[in-house]
Amino acid sequence: MSDVAKLPPVTRRTALKAGSVVLGGALFTSSALLTACSGERAAPPASTAGISTEDAQLLEEIADAILPTTPASPGARAAGVAPIVALLVNDCYDAPAQRRIRDGLQAFRALCVDRCGGAFTRLSPSERETLLAGVDAEAVKAGDAHWFHLARELSLRAYFSSETGMTQALRYVRVPGRWTGCLPLQPGQPAWG
Amino acid sequence: MPQPNTSYDAIVIGSGISGGWAAKELCEKGLKTLVLERGRNVEHLKDYPTALLAPWELPHKGATPRALLDANPLISKAAGYGEDTAHFFVKDADHPYEQEKPFDWIRGYQVGGKSLTWGRACQRWSPHEFVAPERLGYGMNWPIGYDDVADWYTHVERFVGVCGAADGLEAMPDGDFLPPFDFNCAELHLRDALRRRYRDRHVVQGRWAQLSEPREIHLQQGRGTCQARNLCMRGCPYGGYFSSVSSTLPWAQKTGNLTIRPDSVVHSILYDEAKGKASGVRVIDAHTQAITEYRARIIFVNASALNSTLILLNSTSRRFPNGLGNDAGVLGRYVAFHNYRASAHGTLDGLEDRYFYGRNPTECILVNFRNLGKQDADFVGGYTTFTGGYRTRGVDAATRLGGTYKDAQAQPGPWGLYMYMQGETVPKYDNHVRLHDTLKDPFGIPRLVTSVGYDDNDEAMIRDWLTQANEMLAAAGCRDVESRDNHQAPGLDIHEMGGCRMGRDPRTSMLNAWNQLHAVPNVFVTDGACMTSTGNQSPSILYMALTARAANHAVEELARQNL
Repeated sequence: MSDVAKLPPVTRRTALKAGSVVLGGALFTSSALLTACSGERAAPPASTAGISTEDAQLLEEIADAILPTTPASPGARAAGVAPIVALLVNDCYDAPAQRRIRDGLQAFRALCVDRCGGAFTRLSPSERETLLAGVDAEAVKAGDAHWFHLARELSLRAYFSSETGMTQALRYVRVPGRWTGCLPLQPGQPAWG
Repeated sequence: MPQPNTSYDAIVIGSGISGGWAAKELCEKGLKTLVLERGRNVEHLKDYPTALLAPWELPHKGATPRALLDANPLISKAAGYGEDTAHFFVKDADHPYEQEKPFDWIRGYQVGGKSLTWGRACQRWSPHEFVAPERLGYGMNWPIGYDDVADWYTHVERFVGVCGAADGLEAMPDGDFLPPFDFNCAELHLRDALRRRYRDRHVVQGRWAQLSEPREIHLQQGRGTCQARNLCMRGCPYGGYFSSVSSTLPWAQKTGNLTIRPDSVVHSILYDEAKGKASGVRVIDAHTQAITEYRARIIFVNASALNSTLILLNSTSRRFPNGLGNDAGVLGRYVAFHNYRASAHGTLDGLEDRYFYGRNPTECILVNFRNLGKQDADFVGGYTTFTGGYRTRGVDAATRLGGTYKDAQAQPGPWGLYMYMQGETVPKYDNHVRLHDTLKDPFGIPRLVTSVGYDDNDEAMIRDWLTQANEMLAAAGCRDVESRDNHQAPGLDIHEMGGCRMGRDPRTSMLNAWNQLHAVPNVFVTDGACMTSTGNQSPSILYMALTARAANHAVEELARQNL
């Protein structure tokens, strides 16, 4: 999924596709959403299709394992991505994607107990990383339909559109005041938010 | 209760980019002017609810909620539509029309119209574009040429504030410009690579209605320097870009001669058979449905290309049973647009140690190099290419999760270059709009039927553009070049033109060289409806120049008692 940010930017005349957001001048789109929204739009999802607060909390924990606090910037938990994740899934994702996430999380809970003997939140950081690396490897093997791709996508989207992600991991300047086209990149300078 | 004043010197139908100009010029010349806007009122600064929000302060952080998309499958396709700008676009359900062929009719019904959300590109037409259709045999000549509008371009550029460089190019003439925006390093690379490889491929700064360095006239409008936020379409609290709302309308207001009536849907233009002139307009109140008639000596029709055409079609009388001024039967005909279907992009290795500052609201232009003054392609017409360099976010890391991965995601990624086309299309009799026989809109006005499609010439142009774009991106050293034809419907370009075209001959056109209806000279149509051909430049600045020119002519003709 590291390629999601490598699409061309939203230009003046690009229609912002369903579920896409602009981060750092780059178009950041959801493959699940594009598939769902570019053609015939499905009927509005039933209210039961969304995710719960608990699901969103678990996704935040997963996001924090993918995007943890480092010396450079706070991680996904510190950024408080759970409400953003819930909004994106419940308001912006289509019903099949919502279902995939919800079912995936349910299976994931069982997997945590099965492999590690307890809830994900009770695992140590290294246990979490090992477990998720395994799930990610399965997802890569399984292809696009695997739920973990959506979990990764949500983690990146929610984190890099949060105030923390935009201002502390990236650098968002509210009012740049001017445009300067070509400058040296300073050592360690992050991408613009 | 006192009766509202219903008598004016001039009526302007529409408050968008051309209506604002008509209001400004007419009010400045002392005419009591009524501007009728079908949508709600929008005031500069006051009615820009999202203008200052950071991305994380938007409810869905810039993503578009499904409820908004599901309710508006058509308008949500428009460039720039999102939860931050949706209030400046119509809702699909409110304003139905009938698509005989697929046509995405993008509308913004409010004071300021689509000038709030426009793309801000302001290139002048080349002299060739006015004469090419007739000279190269694919259309009718304009009744005017470049020399007729050159001074009016200047007049408009000075007031609007247009930035750009003096490039000395035949295909895209220079004007009176503010300093251009900078190229970024990838764009400089592209410019130089194409210069080395081709004789005729010029990558230059576009011309943009963006105050790079305001002059006194802009400060007098209360507008200031563009802050490089690139959030123009929400309305700019700095007045950094031009809109009717930030510029022409408040300017007209200051004369004391302007009355703006929002929520006023124009039903038709009234024709006085005895005098042989238009006498006023019939207006439906958008909220109460009450009908009021307003009188004026001259009427400017600036309702946007298709709505201006619709109003004229709906303005029937014994003298004009097929629509006002429609003796030739060409009203609603020869509708054209710009071909925006093809785009391409690729990754550019190198320049990792270079970056930029700010968010650039402008783009570069690869100036038209096709059929410039002579036929040199297997299609007719030219194309402008918008292009630019971008830097992605995120570099590859050894792991797919954890701290190293996260920090890598926050780094500037590889550069890329993109291009997309804006191609001329050929106005044709068959590409038309008309009134529906039975279906009405919520105001009881016949619905518009759109019957506008692509043709073989458009397909040939797309093929050539894709070939050239792939070749040029490769010549610039791009890898992983991807190009596509998005097959979008006409209309989504938001450059619909024609329907009430200018021409020398009243037997084949609607408007004369001063944008007056041949048959009803006190009616002026100066928005996109008047276009005889489409050229390949972004059209708004020409509408503004033609409007200013026609308004000044109208004032002179009134003084000569000719109207």
